[in-house]
Amino acid sequence: MTATTTRTTTGTTTGSATRAGTRRRGRGTAWGTLVVLLVLGAAALPALLAPDQPTGRLLDPADTSLIGSSALSRLLEAHGVEVVRVETPGAAVAAAGPQTLLLITEASLLGSHDAAVRLAEAPGDRLIAGHASFLDVLAPGLNRESVERVRSRPPRCALREAVRAGDAFTGGISFSSPPGSTGCYPAGDGHTLVRYTEDGHTVTALGDASFLTNMWLADDGNAALALNLAGARPKLVWLAQGDDPAEAEDGATGADGEPARSLGDLIPGGVTWAVFQLVVAVAVTALWRARRLGPVVTERLPVVVRASETVEGRGLLYRSRRARDRAALALRAAAADRLAPLLGVPRTATAEEVADAAAARTGQDPGPVRALLCGPEPADDAALVALAADLDTLERQVRDS
Amino acid sequence: MALTGRAGLLAALAAIVVLLAPEPGLVVLAAALVLAALVTADLLLAGGVRGLRFHRDGDNRVRLGGSLVIGLVVDNPGPRRLRGVLRDAWQPSAGAAPRRQALDVPPGERRRLVTTLTPVRRGDREAVAVTVRSVGPLGLAARQRTFEAPWTVRVLPPFLSRRHLPARLARLREMDGRHPALVRGQGTEFDSLREYVVGDDVRSIDWRASARRSDVVVRTWRPERDRRVLIVLDTGRTSAGRIGTAPLGFGPDVSAPGSDAGRGPKAGPGPGSGPGSGPGSGASGWPRLDWSMDAALLLAALAARAGDRVDFLAYDRAVRAQVSGASRTELLSSMVNAMAPIEAELVEADAAGMAAAVLSRARRRCLVVLLTDLNTAAMEEGLLPVLPQLSARHLVLAAAVADPRVAEMAAGRGSAEAVYDAAAAERLRGERSEVTATLRRQGVEVVDALPEDFAPALADAYLALKAAGRL
Repeated sequence: MTATTTRTTTGTTTGSATRAGTRRRGRGTAWGTLVVLLVLGAAALPALLAPDQPTGRLLDPADTSLIGSSALSRLLEAHGVEVVRVETPGAAVAAAGPQTLLLITEASLLGSHDAAVRLAEAPGDRLIAGHASFLDVLAPGLNRESVERVRSRPPRCALREAVRAGDAFTGGISFSSPPGSTGCYPAGDGHTLVRYTEDGHTVTALGDASFLTNMWLADDGNAALALNLAGARPKLVWLAQGDDPAEAEDGATGADGEPARSLGDLIPGGVTWAVFQLVVAVAVTALWRARRLGPVVTERLPVVVRASETVEGRGLLYRSRRARDRAALALRAAAADRLAPLLGVPRTATAEEVADAAAARTGQDPGPVRALLCGPEPADDAALVALAADLDTLERQVRDS
Repeated sequence: MALTGRAGLLAALAAIVVLLAPEPGLVVLAAALVLAALVTADLLLAGGVRGLRFHRDGDNRVRLGGSLVIGLVVDNPGPRRLRGVLRDAWQPSAGAAPRRQALDVPPGERRRLVTTLTPVRRGDREAVAVTVRSVGPLGLAARQRTFEAPWTVRVLPPFLSRRHLPARLARLREMDGRHPALVRGQGTEFDSLREYVVGDDVRSIDWRASARRSDVVVRTWRPERDRRVLIVLDTGRTSAGRIGTAPLGFGPDVSAPGSDAGRGPKAGPGPGSGPGSGPGSGASGWPRLDWSMDAALLLAALAARAGDRVDFLAYDRAVRAQVSGASRTELLSSMVNAMAPIEAELVEADAAGMAAAVLSRARRRCLVVLLTDLNTAAMEEGLLPVLPQLSARHLVLAAAVADPRVAEMAAGRGSAEAVYDAAAAERLRGERSEVTATLRRQGVEVVDALPEDFAPALADAYLALKAAGRL
């Protein structure tokens, strides 16, 4: 009766426990799903919020996207022109020499006026493409006439590079030619390509740089014009935009002449304060967790030591010193002690007497038994192991006989 | 005072407000002020803890392996309701549960909380402190205070070998002649005369008494009574070594010292500490001292039932505990009480002092049971020189627990490492058997048995001595 009741009670308990377990597991799964959704959402949010803009670096000789100029760089190298990609004006000045051509595009970050002046004083020729900053320093004497649409235009001039290339996508800034200059690809009142010599440098200014990009290089005579202009010298120093604008020398101002904005400037002011408030929250939480509910209780515990530690220590000592003599002695003495009562020999008997008695009992030759019980120490560890096994065998034989 | 998680949550929520507010700096300041104001208000409105009074009730003795319940009455004389948590802190090896409990005492009333102790170690366990955290109505902050509410629980040796007692008592009755087997009673002490019944040993017929009466009368015999047994427990360094597997699942002191979260439900045997590690493989065993105590208790129970007087002495360099002249009914309880707080001292036992203590206590001839270790070095320097003094006046029985790990190592074969260990173990066994032989030559009885067999082996040795009339 009691047993039945107990079993029923147990059954009910088990059932409810299982149900509770299922519920708990279900709740756990729900929490897990929620956490996973939150994490995924947090990961996807920046991608959704980010503006839809092409990736890649504009007019960069190492960039293979549509706005990059990797194709031109490769073509130049195929024609034997050394392309040196630099990211700062200082590096560009350092790389420049009498036989170099310095390419400055609208993507080049010059930083300050001083940097532009140093660039302008650098040896070698200059090719300026598009809306480069500090144009008045880099190409003095040029005046902007108007801004024209970029389209295919004929050269209509005597410049060899332009004539050979033929029609090309030009436009952008239209320059008025200073005296002694050559203007090509006329648009509006001026020309979109102007070349003149200033202070010993040949300066070539282009109204627009888009024909240098991977996207447009293959159209019209773009590739030919670009190769003719950029490949005029054996070495081309290409001032490209760096990965980090802050690395640009004297990078206080950006390409647009506005102050460069660091990551800190882009964060709304409230976020800093919110982080500060979160620090306060963490501090409060730390205070909550740090306050113990009462003191730590200590207790004097007895020593924990195995009684067998001395024996194990002795075994390790034997092992480390390879003390085969002592080990063999101990094993033999123990075997003789166990054999003596079995053979009816007094405990005081010597090992030889025990060996003789054992040989007589088992019908073996006394020689090997004597060698086993009172022979020389084993030569190596294998012999010791064999000795232990042989002693066991002898003991078993005596016991069974 | 103490803050709560709710205060932290409030501060974290304020961060969202700061993020959206037009003047974030001001909001941060305002949030801090508001939080401080709320916390202060909560502290002021929380029930006072200063005047709380505590009373304990419950048992103060438990056998190792058992549980007991300690009540704690919280008296709130203050004008406000006391809500919060209470921690009744005991020493870790007292196994107190639950670790913290909810508390709700209306003003002027009292509530009784219950703490269950499941000690994992022998000895005196003390209640260290009672800490009360009284949370305010908003749940943002709490007043906290720690009180002392002393209580001591003595955890007694478990006396696991008592299961061997009925069999030994049956043997004793057999010897006593009360058993139906009507042989000439073992023992040498004349008990009484009674009428001859068929089956009695004719050699026990008392002819003189038969001549006086018209009937045949036999003498009955019984073992000696009122002999003295002095159990001496060696509490020196050799008794600290751990042997075998702790029989209760946990060792006498498997406990997590002071850990805050680790003290889960540890009730009942076998939370994975004992059985996992094989026999003798480490610290999971019992100290030699505990095995000796177990055997001593069985011997004392048996001797008391056999009509002998039992005294107890624990000694290393001084007397650690003693029981003398206890009545037969009180003997066991006073012995476990005396044994409970004894721990092995890490000093070399002073055998000469021990012999002197024994000689001064036992004026008449008695059976001196020495519960010690048959350690060659300790024996040769300590006990052997003073043993003649003892054995001249008393019958000495030396009893020691053998280590199963040694036998296990001695059987090791196969690899060089195992054989070296086996040689070391054989060497120890050889030394031990030499010590045993030396002791026997001096007329000392020796009991050397594995932990599980130790208590019954000692009881059997006692019964054998009694049957042989050597007491």
